Amino acid sequence: MTGALIACRGVSYRYPVSAQLVLQDLDFTVNPGEFVLLAGASGSGKSTLCRLLNGLIPHLHGGEVRGDLTVAGADPRWTPPHQLSREVGLLLQRPDAQCLATTVARDLAFGPACQGLDRAAIARRVRAVTGWMDIAHLLDRSPHTLSCGEQQRVALAGVLAMEPKLLVLDEPFAFLDVAGAGQLRERLRGLHAAGITLIVAEHRLGEVAALASRMLVLHQGRLMADGSPATVLAGNVAAWGLEPPGPWPEASRPATTGLEPVVEWDGIWCERDGRPVLRGADLVSAAGEIAALLGANGAGKSTLLRHGNGLLRSPRGAVRVLGRPVGKRPVAEVAGDVGLVMQQPAHMLFAPTVRAELAAGPRALRRHDPAWCEQLSERFGLEPLLDRPPQMLSAGEQRRVALAAVLASRPRALLLDEPTAGQDAIARATLRTLLAECATEGLAITVATHDPRWAWPLCPRWAVLAEGRITTADLSTVQAQHEAWSCSQRHPLAVTP
Amino acid sequence: MQPTASAGGDSLMDGELNPLTPDPSPTEGEESERRYDPRTKLVVYLLGCGVILLTTRPLELLPLTAAPLLGIAFGRHWSQWLGVMRLLWPTLLLFAAVVGFGSGPEAAAGAVLRLLALVTASTLFFALTPPEELGESLLSSGLPPQAVFLLEGTLRFAPTMAVLAREVREAQESRGIRLDGFYLLRNGLALLGPLLFSIMRFADDLAEALESRGFGGPTRTPLVEYRFRIRDWVLVLGMLMVTLGWVFISR
Repeated sequence: MTGALIACRGVSYRYPVSAQLVLQDLDFTVNPGEFVLLAGASGSGKSTLCRLLNGLIPHLHGGEVRGDLTVAGADPRWTPPHQLSREVGLLLQRPDAQCLATTVARDLAFGPACQGLDRAAIARRVRAVTGWMDIAHLLDRSPHTLSCGEQQRVALAGVLAMEPKLLVLDEPFAFLDVAGAGQLRERLRGLHAAGITLIVAEHRLGEVAALASRMLVLHQGRLMADGSPATVLAGNVAAWGLEPPGPWPEASRPATTGLEPVVEWDGIWCERDGRPVLRGADLVSAAGEIAALLGANGAGKSTLLRHGNGLLRSPRGAVRVLGRPVGKRPVAEVAGDVGLVMQQPAHMLFAPTVRAELAAGPRALRRHDPAWCEQLSERFGLEPLLDRPPQMLSAGEQRRVALAAVLASRPRALLLDEPTAGQDAIARATLRTLLAECATEGLAITVATHDPRWAWPLCPRWAVLAEGRITTADLSTVQAQHEAWSCSQRHPLAVTP
Repeated sequence: MQPTASAGGDSLMDGELNPLTPDPSPTEGEESERRYDPRTKLVVYLLGCGVILLTTRPLELLPLTAAPLLGIAFGRHWSQWLGVMRLLWPTLLLFAAVVGFGSGPEAAAGAVLRLLALVTASTLFFALTPPEELGESLLSSGLPPQAVFLLEGTLRFAPTMAVLAREVREAQESRGIRLDGFYLLRNGLALLGPLLFSIMRFADDLAEALESRGFGGPTRTPLVEYRFRIRDWVLVLGMLMVTLGWVFISR
């Protein structure tokens, strides 16, 4: 207990408008220099605990905290977050909201300036984190022009510039590609070696388990396990909604040939801010087949998908849906054949109830079929949610509603953009089952993902987008390359055709 | 270093490569614009707006419109001005029609010229004064960090909000819900609903990020120390006299 950086004794917490305890009787201590992996399914209380440690709870969110909690010698209940931030750094999940200034350089200086340091000290810290995070080339850029991985690096650098003793990261791997995840692992390893205490809340256990010295598991707000990652993962973690890292599952869907093409991307070109993103990309999505589209952050996966339903138009090449060029057809017309589920499902949801949400798309396309909507809600497990506002659902539930809402229009092809980002093991497994069922019924599915392990048993065909072009690969090549990269943690995923 | 020094401020790390200096090599045109403290430009701008608002006759408004237009021309800020005008012209037309219908053509011309002068002056001011410089200078004057962040945050997050709006629009169109032309009126909720929820969620995330980065305390060190110099006082006093003279003559 003496010398512990975090001492948590019988801590419970409830949000202001809820009678339910989100954290219940937590008892643990964390000593300086430890690297703690905080695991748990969605809703287990991981993010709540992270926010409690730096005082955002209760100062920003309110609610009732019980028990004894000391973080870096202070009680977060009575210490405002801006004071606690001198000792406790918190990196939140969403990187775009954490870059606070108009340029990266100013953003890095923001925290130290708020600490009231003099300008020379601020400059020293900015220089130090710039070199350490290797972001000197980004200093003059506006944060909104950066890729997700770059924003994540800048946000982490901004927190590190405050020189915290304890760094808490809430799902830092959620939106990162394989290369970005590897770089972040390297940074975390370096921070741990430098003596900074780390707490990383994460669903993708494989990213952190090997680095962490200790693992805590939360389940429904209670601490279920506390030990070394090897010991904890040897137990039945699936009971807590976790997917232990391990060998890749069996590939259950062999590739077939001669399937009817539904969406064909033929030599697609696209530029963004004067930079070529796609340079003659070719891809086919065939009926009854699920294709995985891999590629680094910013490689153009989302851009390619957006060409598939006419949201973007290529100056060269063509997109054909069921053999007919998309050309200048309105997106709303193509939407009848090609459904696109965006990375952020919340952007799609607007109706007052889930029931109305399922009907909105088909009504707009004049193909509403109440019986089909009912079938979908049964299959997607949405029946208990039908009268609830979709905006109030959990991220996993929103994902299922968005997918069902797109399928309600009976498209022939389905394009999914990062469907597993930020999802726990249960939601990922559910999504995999649903997509497999859809493919069996003849739907052509293309999934852009950073999560090849999730897609592995689902997708018989793999396409890798690199330097604006698609290279196809067989299962064994992808697995071998990914495994080799994951072991070395140096090389980005690169699959040779 | 150069821009901050020429702006009458002492920046971090004099004589060294300063990573906090966003633009280390101002062009010739920018050099003269940056001779003045951002607060001087703010005072001149506010006095100018006051004069424009107090003036109603079209003939008197003509030079007041021409003056900022000359500034736009000399500073070569036409692209910014045209960008604003492209968005503004329907409002100008509507304004002219409504005022003209109610109060006659002279009042309509006056109203349009006044709006045009105000918008042109504002475009010129923001072209000459990067908001982050203005924010830093106001911080030096003792303005609370929270108030300064209102200014900086607006600039920082406007593009993020635009991206958010585009993504929501694309998400709805991908479901067959049209949002172009007339359909925007019919299906506007499909755009506004998710957009408002996303913005509220973003605001929550932003508040958390700010608190986690030490924002909320009583102090924030300005990254550049600005000082009023003689030329700033001369310009402010000169503009004050012009304003008083104009008000006196107009009466």
